[in-house]
Amino acid sequence: MGGAVDRAYLPVKNALEQVGDLMILTGKTLISAVRPPFPYGTEFVQQFYFLLKLCWFPLIVSMVTLSYGAPGLQAGNFLEIFGALDRLGGFFVLAVIRNFAPFVTAVILAGVGGTAICADLGARKIREELDALQVLGVDPIKNLVVPRFLALMVVTALFNGFAILAGLFGGVLATLTFGAPLGPFFSTLLSNATTTDLWGSLLETAIFGAIIAIVCCYKGMTASGGAEGVGRAVNQAVVISMLGVFAFNYVFIQTLLATHPEISVVK
Amino acid sequence: MSWLAVPRDILASFGDIMKFFWAVIKEVAEGSAVRFFGETLRQAGILIIGSALVIWGMAFILGLTCGVNGAYFARSIGSPQIGGSFSAICDLREILPLAFGYMMSAKVGTGLVAEIGAMRISDEIDALEVMGISSLAFLCSTRLLGAWIVLPFMYIAAVGAGFVGSYLAVVQQVSEVSSGGYFLIFWAYQNPPDLLFSLIKGMSMATVIVLVGLYYGYTASGGPVGVGAATAKSMVLNTVAVHFLSMIGTMVFWGANPRAPIGG
Repeated sequence: MGGAVDRAYLPVKNALEQVGDLMILTGKTLISAVRPPFPYGTEFVQQFYFLLKLCWFPLIVSMVTLSYGAPGLQAGNFLEIFGALDRLGGFFVLAVIRNFAPFVTAVILAGVGGTAICADLGARKIREELDALQVLGVDPIKNLVVPRFLALMVVTALFNGFAILAGLFGGVLATLTFGAPLGPFFSTLLSNATTTDLWGSLLETAIFGAIIAIVCCYKGMTASGGAEGVGRAVNQAVVISMLGVFAFNYVFIQTLLATHPEISVVK
Repeated sequence: MSWLAVPRDILASFGDIMKFFWAVIKEVAEGSAVRFFGETLRQAGILIIGSALVIWGMAFILGLTCGVNGAYFARSIGSPQIGGSFSAICDLREILPLAFGYMMSAKVGTGLVAEIGAMRISDEIDALEVMGISSLAFLCSTRLLGAWIVLPFMYIAAVGAGFVGSYLAVVQQVSEVSSGGYFLIFWAYQNPPDLLFSLIKGMSMATVIVLVGLYYGYTASGGPVGVGAATAKSMVLNTVAVHFLSMIGTMVFWGANPRAPIGG
């Protein structure tokens, strides 16, 4: 009896404790990001460059292939039945700017950038470098977590812009596959795109970056010993950050669509 | 010569990965996994207990997202009752294979790297070879066969979870179409071959993800830190492969034929 209760109770307690720890880490990160002194400038630039170098190629390849296949061919075929292939540009506002560009940016930044950050911090944790930093009086949150948090937020939001461009390139390829002219594609694209879509997309991805950074830093800094330790931490970090990002995406896109009816008017 | 070094390294490691894939698939085809059928079943069980809920959860969330987008899109063109057509095509053909691929690579792929990589660096794989058991057969082919046994069913259940999500979003949440009207359009826009094509898409992603996970785990080196780095590296290849296979699947199955009940 006691065993059964424990089996049900311990995982729940463990999960709730981790959620609480994540919240505490978020609060501490935000406070130490704005409270002087600001020693994290160099580390911020290094992390920014590191993420840029690591993620640009997977991002571009993934975004072009995905938007050529999913909205390009699938919706293009559909519109061609109606003889309305020029509307593909208008559909790309919904598909790429509002949905797939944030999706793919989040998956690449969580899968490629977040895992690398988690593996890096996990390595420092089990080599006891983090403890050594604390002994030296260096705050690991201010010097390690804050620059990664800011870098991921900025890089994710900026990469979203490149993802949109790559996605539109996929749409151009799809239009050319159907042998249609490009003029109508861009004309319906530009007449349907709104500023709200763009800032919504950027705000969304910046928050994605914050979620990924907090989860990956937390999992890296709490990696426990053993041969499997760091690998297990990376595994959990990427699962939690993807679930968190997509759950947040649903809430965000729902709120955006419901509060801005003007963006879902076909022009 | 230095500018040739990067592409040459990429080609060389791609060749290594393909050789490894071929070796594991050959082991399965020669029946090595069947010799260790108990282990195969154990791996299949681990896959169900460890990963099923997370994968279905991801499919459900993306089904909700797809449904909300479809409902607002259908409203924007002035006919909210066709929300079902958008969610049928978006769910079954594109988003659910992608959700499955994302969560497989996050949960199962990196999990395999962490597990097998830990065995490699604590010399357990060498110990297995010393005892006269082929590690490729016992560790890798059993996991691949276990995945092939379980994942088709898990995938179809994930499709169900995504459909429930879309139904909730379109009918219960935005609620501009009745339940019967939604399902009429929803089922009209898909048929069993579509489900089969979607399953083939998802299973080809799953096969590549399991093999990539096995490769990076099997060749891990450099202590626990090396295992962590290999885990992170496996995700790079997996995410690109998932998107690439998604495009290939769309081109092959729906590229020349929209399979929509419109026109003659």
